Amino acid sequence: MDLTPHALSAPLVRVRGLSLTVPSAAGPVDILRGIDLDIDKGQAVGLVGPSGSGKTSLLMVLAGLERASAGTVMLDGQMVTGLTEDALARLRRTHIGIVFQAFHLIPTMTALENVAVPLELASIRDAAAKARAALDSVGLSHRLTHLPGQLSGGEQQRVALARAVAAEPALLLADEPTGNLDHATGAQVIELLFSLRARIGATLLLITHDRDLAARCDRQVHMSDGRLTDADLASSEAGTCGASPGARHGPVVS
Amino acid sequence: MSIAFTLARRELRGGVRGLWIVVLCLALGVGAIAAVGSLRSAVEAGLASDGRALLGGDLEVDTGSETVPADLLAWLAEHDARVSEVAQMRSMLAVIDPEGQVAGRPSGQRSGQRQLIELKAVDSAWPLVSETARGDAHGGPIGDATGGLGIDPPMTLQAAFADHGILIDRLILDRLGLAIGDRVRIGSATFRVAGVLTREPDRIATGAAFGPRVLMAMDDLAATGLLMPGAMVRHAVRLTAPAAPTMARQLAERFPSRGWRIRDPRDAAPGVTRFIDQIALFLTLVGLTSLLVGGIGVANGVRAWLDARARTIAILRCLGASAGLVFAVCLIQVMALASLGIMAGVGLGGLLPVVAGRLLSGLLPVAPVFGFYPAPLVLAAAFGVLIALSFALWPLARAARIPGGALFRDALIPEGTRPSWPLALANLALVAALIGLTVLAAGDRRFALYFCAAALLTLILFRAGGWLVMLVARLAAGLGSPAMRLGIANLHRPGAPTPLLLLSAGLGLSTLAAVALIQGNMGVQIADQLPAKAPSFFFIDIQNEQVAAFQRIVEAQPGPVEVRDVPSLRARVVALKGVPVEQARVSPDSAWALRGDRGLTYAAAEPEGARIVSGAWWPAGYDGKPLVSLDATLAKGWGVGVGDVVRVNVLGRDLDLTIANVREIDWRSLGINFFMVASPGILSRAPHTHIATVKLPEDQEAALLRAVTDALPNVTGIRVRDVLGAVADILNQVAMALSVTGGVTLLAGSLVLVGAVAAGQRRRIREAVILKTLGATRRQIRAAWLTEFGILGLVAGLIAAAVGSAASFGVMHYILHTYWIFLPRTLICTITGALAIMLVFGYTTVSAALRAPPAPLLRNE
Repeated sequence: MDLTPHALSAPLVRVRGLSLTVPSAAGPVDILRGIDLDIDKGQAVGLVGPSGSGKTSLLMVLAGLERASAGTVMLDGQMVTGLTEDALARLRRTHIGIVFQAFHLIPTMTALENVAVPLELASIRDAAAKARAALDSVGLSHRLTHLPGQLSGGEQQRVALARAVAAEPALLLADEPTGNLDHATGAQVIELLFSLRARIGATLLLITHDRDLAARCDRQVHMSDGRLTDADLASSEAGTCGASPGARHGPVVS
Repeated sequence: MSIAFTLARRELRGGVRGLWIVVLCLALGVGAIAAVGSLRSAVEAGLASDGRALLGGDLEVDTGSETVPADLLAWLAEHDARVSEVAQMRSMLAVIDPEGQVAGRPSGQRSGQRQLIELKAVDSAWPLVSETARGDAHGGPIGDATGGLGIDPPMTLQAAFADHGILIDRLILDRLGLAIGDRVRIGSATFRVAGVLTREPDRIATGAAFGPRVLMAMDDLAATGLLMPGAMVRHAVRLTAPAAPTMARQLAERFPSRGWRIRDPRDAAPGVTRFIDQIALFLTLVGLTSLLVGGIGVANGVRAWLDARARTIAILRCLGASAGLVFAVCLIQVMALASLGIMAGVGLGGLLPVVAGRLLSGLLPVAPVFGFYPAPLVLAAAFGVLIALSFALWPLARAARIPGGALFRDALIPEGTRPSWPLALANLALVAALIGLTVLAAGDRRFALYFCAAALLTLILFRAGGWLVMLVARLAAGLGSPAMRLGIANLHRPGAPTPLLLLSAGLGLSTLAAVALIQGNMGVQIADQLPAKAPSFFFIDIQNEQVAAFQRIVEAQPGPVEVRDVPSLRARVVALKGVPVEQARVSPDSAWALRGDRGLTYAAAEPEGARIVSGAWWPAGYDGKPLVSLDATLAKGWGVGVGDVVRVNVLGRDLDLTIANVREIDWRSLGINFFMVASPGILSRAPHTHIATVKLPEDQEAALLRAVTDALPNVTGIRVRDVLGAVADILNQVAMALSVTGGVTLLAGSLVLVGAVAAGQRRRIREAVILKTLGATRRQIRAAWLTEFGILGLVAGLIAAAVGSAASFGVMHYILHTYWIFLPRTLICTITGALAIMLVFGYTTVSAALRAPPAPLLRNE
């Protein structure tokens, strides 16, 4: 993979002219319309906007789970758009952690197995030990052998969180991680999300409806009808995110 | 109850996508059973409607090796019966050149060849009864002036028999390169080939198993010199009379203890009936296996359907529906679909024989009478209903236990849910009814019972195999590459379809393996691996005074020759322990020895290769009251033992033989084995012939046959190879029928497998998407699933190979009473076949799952 000399100084995520158009019975639908976005290393960005504005689609494209119709996405100086499906998978393994609203745990695997899977896929040594440590860090060391169906919603999301951070990725993507949880549980999960991010020094893109939650990030980005409307709406309370931990990560290498 | 129907109807309106597998599986299984049953009924109806023509009269009195006695003929004449005499025996036909010498020309096919023939001598009254006007099994013309007889070129029987004419099977013409008008020798008489016998109305009643038919005039038979004392000949008289229906009883009263066999048209072809019964049983059981496989499909289908319906059920429960109501609604829906499948199967089974019957007409012994036979269709439908209920009840009962609160939890049907006691008992009762019906509907109930036990055991074996695979997979966690670990873990995860897939793939494969192994065993035994000890020839009808000459001829042959001869008498068993055989209760597998003339020998010393299991051999020089040594299997089947008396009829005379010992015979050697060996003495003074076996190199067989039959024209030589070839032909037809029905089982198994895999596909797609999100490459996911399916295929193949081996051993050993050979190649084919099937399924599944785009599944619901 191409590693440019400016990689270290460049933003971790660089999006240019990103469009996503999907066919439908009523004709093509433009979901993303020419997005430009830079996210610096270690920055926490809150992505807000009404339902259907394209937030999740943007996250999917960033994660390489959806292919852009036009435009480019660079992750740590490396061009993501144009990579093969498997190259994208390898990239996700070690560099991207994702937390979904619906958790998306594998229902037939125990909590420990769910967390260990990405580590095993990446052939990381001591996958089980690392997974155990990750679960310990979300306070679930007593739930290792439980299946998702035997866990509460909050616990399931904590497992998902542990899974997302276990490989210490450079980029954490979170799509409404508290959407399926009650207020108190949601708050707990968010606390964990932010503290774990701080610990591993990951860059965070957090999709949320919650303005207060978005306000905890270094930066807020607003999205509407497939466009970033008031980008770079700087968060005044950036400090609550925990200081940007700085570039602990090296360049993105596949 | 009406609310249950209303709800069921409302839901059925919404489609039953998940239940298509239930319809298909039942249609296939029920169709197979119904088709076999219908075809059997059609053949039986054919036998019944042509019974008179097939028997050749209203009644047949078979007097065995005794010429039809004058007192019988006189009695029949008194009773206004029209009679026709028939005699049958095996003999040799030799080609002779125009100078009257047996042809020895080196060129062409006629060079002194001998042909074993089934000789039938008939009088001018034959055939007494003509065929009914509906054509025959071989598509020949409708019954004509010749009484169903076919001669090429067309002529009357009288014209054919004029000037010592005979009619021969076309096979002889082709094999020996003969032409009409050529002269041939049978025994010591010369005959003119008058024409080809193309149709013979009573052929199946007077079977021609070992050679082609030759028909000659009764008046010419004596000239052949074949009718020597003790010759293996069968005489019979057929009759037509207005009073025929009551004559059988009158005959039995008038001529008691004569050892004759009296048959009426219902019993025209007992051999054929027995053969059809046995084949039908085999095929029905194979059909039942495919229905059983279909049952697994029913269970899978219902289970998958209920999993998809679980939310609806939970909502119904929340709205106040009782468990009973939920159960009733689901049961109505499933049985509605099951009925559809069963009806389709019955329709298919009823129609298929009409199509298949036309195609198979050349292979069937009689022309089937196609029509509507409700009995086999009802039976097939009953099997279908019982299978559907037996297999649907368990998953349905679990559905009834879905609580309303399940709506708010992830897994809607908890894994450990067990049906309530009454339902479990009902399920047991259904299984018992299924076994009961299988056994009651079978001609050979013991065999059917074995089948049920084997089927149950196979189900248990595959279930246990499933458990074992899961256990080993759990223990093997952490082995291999990440992808392999994932695949192995897939085998034991909660809700893993391991047992289901094993069973779905394995049951059909087991049947196929068993069928293949049975076929393979038959093939090997008959064609390829003639026992090393097996003789080349059996020579029969050697007269006492010819034995020395025979020995000289054989020993004059160059090269190593082994010869063995024993005295031979024709005897029929007429009573066991004083009970006439018609009234004796004997096992089905020992009844054959009580039908017609059987070989009997006498010997002073114990024969080689026998093992006495009870009693003792008579002392040397014994000349007291006649004793007999009996085969152990028959003794058991007849319920007799040492000290009991077996009454036999030898050449019209009854003789009481006391059982001195019971011995086990190794029939495999293909040597001379008599199931009854009597003490010398009285029998040695009765007129009898000898049977000899000769073993010599294959290239000298023709020369020996020529030498013996030239010098001793009345002696018949039977090549063991030819006999085994004839048997192989029959068995090949049986094997073909088995293959077809076995194919149905495989089809059913594949359907079930498709259903089982399809049921889990949603879960698999979801899993693949999550794994991709977590960084799994397509190759890793493919490797994981192929590991899972590969292990399943391997285990399914191994179990199927074991079950197939056991089943084929059972059939070879207990049903066909022969030995079983381990056939590693067939087993390896089974295992690799299973592996290949599962890998194809795995590859298809994973490819479909990998094509699914991840984003739609990952979006918030």
